Amino acid sequence: MAWISLEKAKKLEERFGYPKVSEGKGVVSVEVPKDKFIEFLTFLKEDPEYQFKMFIDLTIIDHGEKEDPRFQGVVILFSPKNQERIIVKTWAENETLPTLTNLWKGAKWAEREAWDMFGIKFEGHENLVRMLLWETYPYHPLRKDFPLEGIKDTELPSLNESLRGENLEGLFNYDRMHTALPTMEDLEITQKKRMPAKTSQIVLNWGPLHPGTHGTIWFLFDLDGEYVKQCDIIIGQLHRGVEKLGENVNWQQFIPYTDRMDYIAAINENHAYVLAAEKMLGIEVPEKAKWIRTMMAELSRINSHLLWLGTYALDLGALTMFLYTFREREKIMDIIEGITGARFTINYFRIGGVFADLPYGALDAIEHLIKDLPQRINDYETLLTRNRIWLSRNKDVCVITEEDVYQYGLTGAVARGSGVPYDVRKIDKYDAYGEVEFDIPVGEKGDSYDRYLVRMEEMRQSIRIIQQCIAKLRKMSKNDPYFFQTPDEKKLKVTIDGRGMKLPAGETYASSDNPRGELGFYIYNKKDGLKAHRMRIRSGAFYNLQVFTKAIIGRPIADAITLLSTIDPVVGETDR
Amino acid sequence: MGIKKVGAKPQTLVEKIFFLDFIKGLKTTIKHLWKKVITVDFPYEVVTPPIRFRGIHGLRTVDGTENPEFDSWVKRLKIKPPEPGETRCIACKFCQAACPVPELFDIQSEKLDVPEDHPHYGLKVMTVFNMDLSKCTFCGLCTQACPTDCIIMTDIYDLSSYTRKSWVLDKDVLTQIANDFVARRGKEKFDEKSAWREDQKLWPEYDKTRERLWDFNMPRLGPNYQDQTA
Repeated sequence: MAWISLEKAKKLEERFGYPKVSEGKGVVSVEVPKDKFIEFLTFLKEDPEYQFKMFIDLTIIDHGEKEDPRFQGVVILFSPKNQERIIVKTWAENETLPTLTNLWKGAKWAEREAWDMFGIKFEGHENLVRMLLWETYPYHPLRKDFPLEGIKDTELPSLNESLRGENLEGLFNYDRMHTALPTMEDLEITQKKRMPAKTSQIVLNWGPLHPGTHGTIWFLFDLDGEYVKQCDIIIGQLHRGVEKLGENVNWQQFIPYTDRMDYIAAINENHAYVLAAEKMLGIEVPEKAKWIRTMMAELSRINSHLLWLGTYALDLGALTMFLYTFREREKIMDIIEGITGARFTINYFRIGGVFADLPYGALDAIEHLIKDLPQRINDYETLLTRNRIWLSRNKDVCVITEEDVYQYGLTGAVARGSGVPYDVRKIDKYDAYGEVEFDIPVGEKGDSYDRYLVRMEEMRQSIRIIQQCIAKLRKMSKNDPYFFQTPDEKKLKVTIDGRGMKLPAGETYASSDNPRGELGFYIYNKKDGLKAHRMRIRSGAFYNLQVFTKAIIGRPIADAITLLSTIDPVVGETDR
Repeated sequence: MGIKKVGAKPQTLVEKIFFLDFIKGLKTTIKHLWKKVITVDFPYEVVTPPIRFRGIHGLRTVDGTENPEFDSWVKRLKIKPPEPGETRCIACKFCQAACPVPELFDIQSEKLDVPEDHPHYGLKVMTVFNMDLSKCTFCGLCTQACPTDCIIMTDIYDLSSYTRKSWVLDKDVLTQIANDFVARRGKEKFDEKSAWREDQKLWPEYDKTRERLWDFNMPRLGPNYQDQTA
């Protein structure tokens, strides 16, 4: 797997003396003291031997009220040169940490999120405001002493049915007291704090309920005439605390919640989570499950890209495209519905495999679909790729450079459009990806047009992968297992419904290549448990969206639509 | 590692002058002009959901197709042995334990009020089984946890109602839903021991509306694996 080797990490220990190297479940982490933190990270980033110059994630672990120091900072880095990752940890004494924004610009939002969720102050951060919640919110919800159901301090009687008034009974009686809600004043304060210094005449609000944003994102543009001088994004309108839920439900029961993050590609979300949990357990899933999962994940990728293409073209004025892509999408949804039982929130994968074998005729239907699909994709391309309006709306629009990719931790098609062949499928080779052949499409310039071309090519590559999966599955037997069979129930219990399933103590990070970038799950377990101690979700869409605030500077406001569509965030995943 | 470069090619002069890009695009549009309508006129026409569809729940009754462990589960939980037509639920609450939103279930059982010499003395029956489907995520984990295959998911998907109260289904309604479903499509979904059939079809082939979604060009369903037969 793509992690720094233990020997290489030990060399760091010898060289500096202070780092403490430890091995997690398939990961290697290094613990350094807080005052040496920046020095150590700078070395890792700039040393020609290591070159951990790509920022992946920053998060906090809350060890509980009794511990001192209570909070621990966790940084995950990637080295494009050696194709390996490393985890660097440090203790946040006095609830503060030095800022990483001077090393990686992408740490800006991650630090704001850490402040929002844990109340850790980052010294030197340029504008440490909340990320997902509003500015006047008094609590830090991911702390262990914050209850799952929240602190009910606001009266909200309207949820009760007016017909029956107070006299509701049993299951359908809602509490009149609710968790805090923002008022209009709170939102105004939030908006002012997010963009403290206005440089131009107009601040334009775009969203939170604008059809062009494809979800509830609230953009602030500081405009000079038509050109954007400053930009910030207020997200969090769809924040549901998925990470908190992940720490409070059992392992298998968390899968339906991951469905609801990136609901466009729910299968890929499930995939990343089950990979992380399996890595934690240290089990290998059966061969058949691997191939089924690979095939379904690629179907889901095509599904997601078709939705992206339709809405992207719709935003730029090509309405017909939307209708064409949705026709193909309907077929894919129909197949997924037949196999898994649901069209959208699929919940098909399980820790240890899949919950059911393919139904009779599934491979035939998929084969039928992908025979037809390349022709359809060519149709889309004749409509768009050479079209002069399309070219002038996309070419040289909002260039994202290779340096930005490393600085902001961009992944998925956004990174590949900028010429960085970063693909977790190739790096980690999870499930059957090590055995299938496919190419990584990369762009040349990093403009919107490149990102468009990369995604179109990705669909073709997905078809290639599905063809290989079908050929492989055809050779298998109907009696091959599709779910992990434990050799000893007492030592290791893995069940489809998840009751009584325990994951061992330790830490791990596993990710999958989502249509929207790398979706990673960092799981930290203090002791063997039915629930996670810390479940961090590294959302690709969250980090990709962050580059919007940079790439739009100096561009006319009309390019905001193009840029947002080619970044393609899904709010369920950015907000979690 | 295979890397494929994609990049923009500039428009040629010929393309620019003769508007070839638009003409090509129009060709695609015109090709689609003669195709038949592919949408379904809901609610006058409906697509039959596939047999694995996860819709509203139901509680199955004893009908002679219980799985082999059914009797031992009844004995273990001290449940009154059910007569044919009575519910299979043994109030074990495994469904609640497997549920991501456990508070949606309200399951209670009571001891039978019979004299000491009665054969059912000391045994229990399930008395309350309420499900608040407004909280349900339709993930299907409860059906996989059920040891007696009692709780199932049917193909009914229209849940809308005027009050939240009508989303709470009690045991009689759930039993009725399951009985209807089993009579309608039980043979398609379950085998003679109430487990999922091995040859469940991807879609019901008798459904003619689905053809429309597929441009009137449906795939023919055949076996997946080399040793599978119809």
